[in-house]
Parts: sequence; structure tokens; C-alpha cells
Amino acid sequence: MEGLHITDKIQTPREIIMRKTYIYKGFERFWHWSQAVLIIFLIITGFEVHGSYIIFGYETAVLYHDIAAWSLIILVVFAIFWHFVTGEYKQYLPSTKLVKAQFKYYISGIFSGAPHPTKKSSYTKFNPLQRLTYLGFKVFIIPIQIISGLLYMYYMYPENPIHIGGLDITAVLHTFGAFVLIAFLIAHLYLLTTSEHPKAAFNAMIHGWEELEKDPEEEHKEHMQSAVDKAVAGYYRVDINGILIDVNEAWLNLYKCSDKNKILGKHSSVTRNEKNQKQLSEVIDRVLNGESLRGIYTERRCFDGTSGKHILSMNPTYERGKIIGAEGFIIDISDVSSVQEQMYHSVRNSEAGYYKIDMNGYYVDVNDAWLRLYKCDDRSNIIDKHYSISRNENDIKRIDEIFNLVTKQGQTISSEIATRRCKDGSTGKHILSANPVYDCEKIVGLEGFILDISDLDINA
Amino acid sequence: MMQKKRWIKRKYTKFIIFLIISSIPWFIIFLVTKTIETQNNTHSDVKILNYDTLKVKSPVNHTDFEILKQKFTDPSQVTEACLTCHNQRHKEVMGNAHWAWGRENIRENGDTVFSGKNNIVNNFCIATNTNSWKCTSCHIGYGWDNKDFDLKDYKRIDCLACHDTTGAYEKEPLGAGYPVKEKQNFADKTYFPPDYNFVATHVGKPDIDNCGKCHFFGGGGNNVKHGDLSSDLYHADKYMDVHMDESGNDMTCTDCHETKNHVMKGKLVSVSDMSHDRLSCEKCHEGDIHSNNVLNRHSQKIACQTCHIPEYAKGIPTKLEWNWGDAGKLDKSGHKITEKDSMGNVIYATPKGTFKWGTHVIPEYIWFNGKADQYVYGDKIEDTTKVLQMIKLAGSYDDPNAKIIPVKIHRGTQIFDTENMTLIIPHIYGHDSTAYSEGLNWDIASKKGMEYAGLPYSGKYSFIKTEAAWPLNHMVSPAENALQCIDCHSKDGRLANLDGFYMPGRDNNNFFDTLGILFIIASFLGVLVHSIIRIKKKKNII
Repeated sequence: MEGLHITDKIQTPREIIMRKTYIYKGFERFWHWSQAVLIIFLIITGFEVHGSYIIFGYETAVLYHDIAAWSLIILVVFAIFWHFVTGEYKQYLPSTKLVKAQFKYYISGIFSGAPHPTKKSSYTKFNPLQRLTYLGFKVFIIPIQIISGLLYMYYMYPENPIHIGGLDITAVLHTFGAFVLIAFLIAHLYLLTTSEHPKAAFNAMIHGWEELEKDPEEEHKEHMQSAVDKAVAGYYRVDINGILIDVNEAWLNLYKCSDKNKILGKHSSVTRNEKNQKQLSEVIDRVLNGESLRGIYTERRCFDGTSGKHILSMNPTYERGKIIGAEGFIIDISDVSSVQEQMYHSVRNSEAGYYKIDMNGYYVDVNDAWLRLYKCDDRSNIIDKHYSISRNENDIKRIDEIFNLVTKQGQTISSEIATRRCKDGSTGKHILSANPVYDCEKIVGLEGFILDISDLDINA
Repeated sequence: MMQKKRWIKRKYTKFIIFLIISSIPWFIIFLVTKTIETQNNTHSDVKILNYDTLKVKSPVNHTDFEILKQKFTDPSQVTEACLTCHNQRHKEVMGNAHWAWGRENIRENGDTVFSGKNNIVNNFCIATNTNSWKCTSCHIGYGWDNKDFDLKDYKRIDCLACHDTTGAYEKEPLGAGYPVKEKQNFADKTYFPPDYNFVATHVGKPDIDNCGKCHFFGGGGNNVKHGDLSSDLYHADKYMDVHMDESGNDMTCTDCHETKNHVMKGKLVSVSDMSHDRLSCEKCHEGDIHSNNVLNRHSQKIACQTCHIPEYAKGIPTKLEWNWGDAGKLDKSGHKITEKDSMGNVIYATPKGTFKWGTHVIPEYIWFNGKADQYVYGDKIEDTTKVLQMIKLAGSYDDPNAKIIPVKIHRGTQIFDTENMTLIIPHIYGHDSTAYSEGLNWDIASKKGMEYAGLPYSGKYSFIKTEAAWPLNHMVSPAENALQCIDCHSKDGRLANLDGFYMPGRDNNNFFDTLGILFIIASFLGVLVHSIIRIKKKKNII
């Protein structure tokens, strides 16, 4: 979702908060420590083979060295696979940005207590220098050691198709690689002490979690971005001319459209039947004039010609204070009964509220619309609180059920009508969606959107 | 609270699972290592090929033969008697080097020559030449006391030397191959004329007693020449020789030196340079016989003997040096001198010069591809400042057929003609004063010896250092005594003198090693300086 424009303004003053972040995945940690132990062991046995000292005895040293070497090769193969499958290899792609700044930090800034020029997060685990070094380590030193090591093991002069004239070059290269590895190890360990919290950084490599500085606004954006990507609520964005420029997966599913490219660049009118065209153009006009609209009931025309019903929210998007388009969410109501159908006609004020809850039921994030719906003025009043405070006692059972359905069984909830308890004690009605949040195929929480339906006359 | 407790519990469970998963590969590694170790430790039976342990004893009873009951006055009559039944066998024997004392060899320069004991020079007693009456006590013939000996006279074949099973048949040490005709003392031993009827009716396949009589006493004494062949092998334990171990494998010479039609397998490089019919361990020990495959791969470049003969002359000492240049010294009263060391080995004898002996000698190692060349009568000495190689063994690291073998190097200093640039073959032994051992005159002895050999002698002589490499193949130690990796894979290891290849543990590239160490020092210094500045600056801040 590049260029996502979410016009959520943080009211709280910008401050740096510490947030426990899952930064090193299980395999990553296993790989790191196994590799560390293997390399140190290979260095110890390797230099015995080199004739530098006697520890295990030559034959045993060679045997151990060979076994450790094969273990490392297997580990590296798995690591390569893991890096590409998870996309974690991108962490190592070099970026020229801030290399200089990082370098300057190490040779001068660090002495005067200057702040680190780069921030660590689960998306950018390494600073630019680390990236370069680790990339060099992975694509240069390790492959050279493995290739020269295999030649060392299996090159039998002269019974080979390739004639490299003996072990000479291989052995010298392999030995020199070992020296470089030792130097790397020294620098690697020392540079750990230059991080702001060396012990925490070290522990992070053990259990994966690290308290990282977080810009709340950035974190919030991250949440919104991933929420929009994974939501059951459909997200869309149009430009000033009403042309669709972005939609998410859920939107495509609701419109029964298989390919994003079929819809992007088309005018939004293709999403409506003729009788609804007028409503759509009216809505867009109003939003482009600066209004934010909530809870509009409408009927969509899907790509296979069928139709469906949803309520939508729409708000203008800005760039440098000028309206450049509109965006909003849609939540499907097609399978809601016809009696209830009527009530959505009068749904108002349904600007989508977003929330995210962790596995223990504590709020991790909410957006401004959510805060407004809950008549709450400060996000800090709700973050880290249990979801039960958002319900009256008699409704808690239902939200527990939903929570369990989503987090334990991985179900996705849509079109659930719920009664919220606002901060001032009053109640309101909304329709909510909830979907699990995954991290490495593991559910780590749930998130969703709510659209307000409080003013609906249920008896109508 | 409950929530928190559960969270902590989950955290620990996770940690334990993580620990278990991380330790699985190490457990596997541990198991693999253990299995390999136990495999190495089990003394499973050595896999043997091409070896028949079934020894068939001939049912023939020679005592029944009338022809062997005649009264023998001369050993040649025994030979004739043998050949009446063993028809045509003499032709096989006469084609054998044990009889001919030589064979056609292709020399380094491509020439084919007939060479052997009669025209190859060594750095012990130098050559047979005028000494053949002494040397031929180890010839399988009778009466080879001068160069006119008729090699076509089958009556002179000595069958009994090899086929006697009684031990009652012995040749006289100075008798040109004949046993004594009447009781005679030589050195500390008394020799009796053999009872030919008894011996001839008790013949059989040769065993160690037959072979050892000559082969253990090359160079004029027990173990003098080879270093790995001595009377110790008559009653060897497994530490002396794992094959001939009396209480173990109890093998005899011909078990390896398999013989068909009087042709035995195995040739010694000191007299035979063609690389065929050689005997190797692989005849019986073939394939990947070590449980550690790294060792199996070593066999591409390293002969079995290299590791499995860690030392030689394990009992009787062997001669390592013979300096003819020192010969001729007399004591104050003008008598010949004989000096012995504490072990009773002669270290100086006036007619011979200085000797050096050794037991439990560590071999020297060279590349060998199976081709050898020896110093033959009349060969020119290229460079007198260099040590002259009497037995040149070809091969180098780059040679695909070459392997590293262990050798005994016998170092000598011997006389050569400074004008003709050839080694001199002097008249060494004899009962006349022209023999060096009697007259102690190099010039006279040289003139006589060279004349007899048919070689020119200028009258000007000096002494040159010589070396002869004797490959070691016997006195194989049991596996537990074989060389360990570190014996060679170390800076001053056994292969320290072999060059042209990189060997882990022995070699290193000084430039890159220094660079690597500097690299590490630099990173240490960098860390040190950086951290010192950090600590200092921090103090200032506080």
C-alpha cells in the first residue's frame, strides 16, 4: 500500500516511547547462535590443523573440523532458504543512505554522546554499516570459506579434472579467511557495546524481543498500514477526478475482482449500478469539498455483475493542505437480514474506527475515529488497557467469544453489531470487523474496524 | 496477575523448547562423532585379498627315491639328482635374478643394459668384482669365484640353499657358494660338511630360514644393509613385524613374495630399476581399508609403508654410514685398529674406515614412482661437490604415479677417480698385499680392481660422499604403532624435507599469516583505542 494517506493526526505531543518488539525470529536466533558456535569451533580446530597449537590432537581436530564444516554448510543452506522465503534478505540489501552518518557516528559522534543516526526496528534491524558488513560476511567470507574448505577436503592432486596444482592457494585462502573471521568476531563483539543498551541487544538475540525506541506516529502508521492490508474492511482511494488509485485485498474480494490492475485507473462509477450512480457522485463531491462522511449505506456492483451491500466511510485526502482525493473503508452487510438492512439507511457518523488488540487482550493501538467514537480524548488512556473496559458487563461475554474465535481459531468476524461503553459511561452501537494479526504464521493478536450505527432506530 | 503468570510460564516453555531444538543438531553431531570413534576403535579383522592361508603340504616322500640314496661327494651331484625328476626346472632357475644376479634394465637415459650385482656399485663393500669369491657365498650356485663363472652350467645350481628344510645345510662364508668340505671354523662359528642324503631327502618350499640366511645378512652382517631385514624376523613378535608375528599371523617370506616357476614377486630397487613385478601391500590390502576416509584418501599420495613402518632396525642395529676415507689408520705400534661402541658394534676398523650404526631408526622420506636408476660401472660423476646418489629413485609431487615412501639412506664416503670422474672399484679383500684390507694402499688396490673390472684408472683419486636410498618394506608395525597425523603434519615433522607441495600443519604462507595476525592486532588496537576514547570522553561528560 504505497503512498497510503491516512489522515489521522496524533493529538498527543510527539515523544519517544519504548516498545517491546519481536525483532529476531526463532530460526534467526537458532541460526545465529549455531553459526557462532560452529565458526568459533571451526576456528579452534582449524588453527590446530594449521599447526598453531595442539588441543584435540591432529586427527581428532580434522575430524571435528570436517563435521563442524558440514554442519555449517547445512545450516547455511537452511539460512539461505529462510532468508529468501521470509524476505528477510532485504534486511541485508545495502543502502547508501546514512552510511556516512553511521560511519561518522562511530568515529566521532559516539564520543560526544551523539544519538545513533539510525533507529532499530523490526523492519530495519541493522544500521547501514551493519548491512554492508553482514552482506560482505554472507556473500563473501562464508562462501569463500565453504568453497575453499570443500576444495581443501576433496581436492586430490592430481586426480582431478581441474588442475589447481595442489592445496597451496586453497589453504592460504582458507587460512586467511579464518583470520578475517576472527577480526570480524572481535569487531562484532565490540560494536555490541556501542549500542545503547548492549545487554538488551544481546538478550534480544536470545529470546527475540527487544525494547526499541518507537516514534508513536510511525508505529501507528505501521499498524494502520498493515491493518488496511489485512483488514476484512475494504479500503479504497480515489483521486480528485474520482479515478480509483488504490484498493486493498478485502476490497477486491468484496467486489469479486481477481486482479488489482483491472480496477486501478478506472473511474469509481464502474462500482455502482445506474440507480446508485447519482448517490456516488454526490458523496464524492461532498468529500472533495472537505466533508468527511460516515456510515453511508449503498449497493455495489461487483465485477461478475452481481450486487452486494455495504456501508462506507469516505474522507478527503490531503497533500500540502490541498484536497487531492478521497479514501475510505467499506464493510460488507450483504448477509445481514432485510429488517436490519433498513437501519443502515440511517447510519451516520460511521467514519471507520480502527483498533488492534494483543494476545492477552490489551489494546495495542486505536485510531482517532475510534477515540472519538469512544469519547476518549487521549490514546494513552486506552493503550495497554484490557478490551473489557470497552463493554458493559452483559456484553463482555460476547466480546470474549469474538476474541477467542479470532485469536484461537483464526476466524474472521464481519458485520457484528456491538454495544460499546464509552469513556463517559454512555453507550453507542457499532458494527465491527475483526481479523487475526499474524506474525510468522502465529496469531499474535487481532485488529479490525468499527463503523458507528448508534443513531439508527433499531425499531424502525 | 493470572495473565502475567501465564505469560511468564509461556515464556519459559518457549525458552525450553528453544533450548531443545538448538541442542538437537549438536546431539546428532555428538552421535556421529561417537560412532566414528567407536568404528575406529574396534579392531575388526583386517580385510585381506588374494591371500590363501591354506598351506598344502606335499605328500611326496623324498626318502623313498633311490637316486637320493647314492653317496654324494659334491653338491652338484645333488642338483643333478633333483633335475632327474624336476625336469627342466633348472631353466626357470637360470632365468631368475637369484641365479643371474642381474637383469635387463632400462636406464634413466633410455639405454637398455644388463645390470645387477656384477656391475652396480654400492657404498658398502663397493662392488663384487674381485671380491666375488666372498660375495657369492650368497649366490644360489657353486663356485662363482671369478668373472669367468659359467652361468649356463646348470650343474652349478644350488637347489638346497632354498629348498633345505632341515637347517643342516649351510654355505661357507668365503667358499664361493660351496658348503665346507670338512669341519671349519669361521669367526665364532663352526661349519660342518652337510649330510647330503639327509638334506636332499628333506626338501620343501623355502621359508624364512632359507631366505633369511642371505637376505638378513646383506652387507656382510646381520641387518647391515637393508635395515628392515634382520634375524629379528626369525622369531618376531607383532611389534617387530605384524605379518611375521610368531604368535599371530605367522607368515613367511613367500606368502607375500609369491613364487611361480621360480619367479618371485618383488624386486629391490638397489639392483632393479624397472617398475614391474614389484610387490605392494595393495596385493592383499586393497580398497578403502581405513575406517577414517581421510586416511584412505591419503593412500593416493602416500605408500602404506610410510605410516606403517614408523621405524626400522627395531632389534639388530643397521649400518647408516660407512666412511672409507678414514680407513688405513694404524695405532702407535703400527697395528690395525678395531674400535667398538658400548653395544659391541664396530665403529672403526683400519681396513674399512668409520661406521655409524643405528637401531629404532626413523626413516627418511622421498617421492617414488617405481622407477629407479643405479650407479653402474663407468658412470660419470657430474658434480663432485654434490653428494653422489648411488640409487636414484624417481618421482616428485607432480608425478601422478609417485607416492611418498620411507627409505633408509645409507651414507658413504668412497674413492673415485678425479681424472676419469668415475667411482673406483678397488680390490678390497684378498689374502694378497694388493688387497686394500691387507696392504692398505688405495693406489695399488684401485689399479688392480679397475683393471679386473676393465675400467680406466688415472692414478689420481679422492673421496666423494655418496648416498643410497633403500626403500623400507619390512618390519611393518601393528596399526596402533602406525604414524599419527601430527608426525608429519607439524612444522618439524617427518616430511619437513619434502617440498613442492602444501601440507596442512607443516606449511604456511608467511605473508598471509602475518597479514592475518596484523589484521587481528589491528582490530584489537582499534577496539582498544576506540573504547579508551569512549571511556575518557564519558568521564568528561560526567
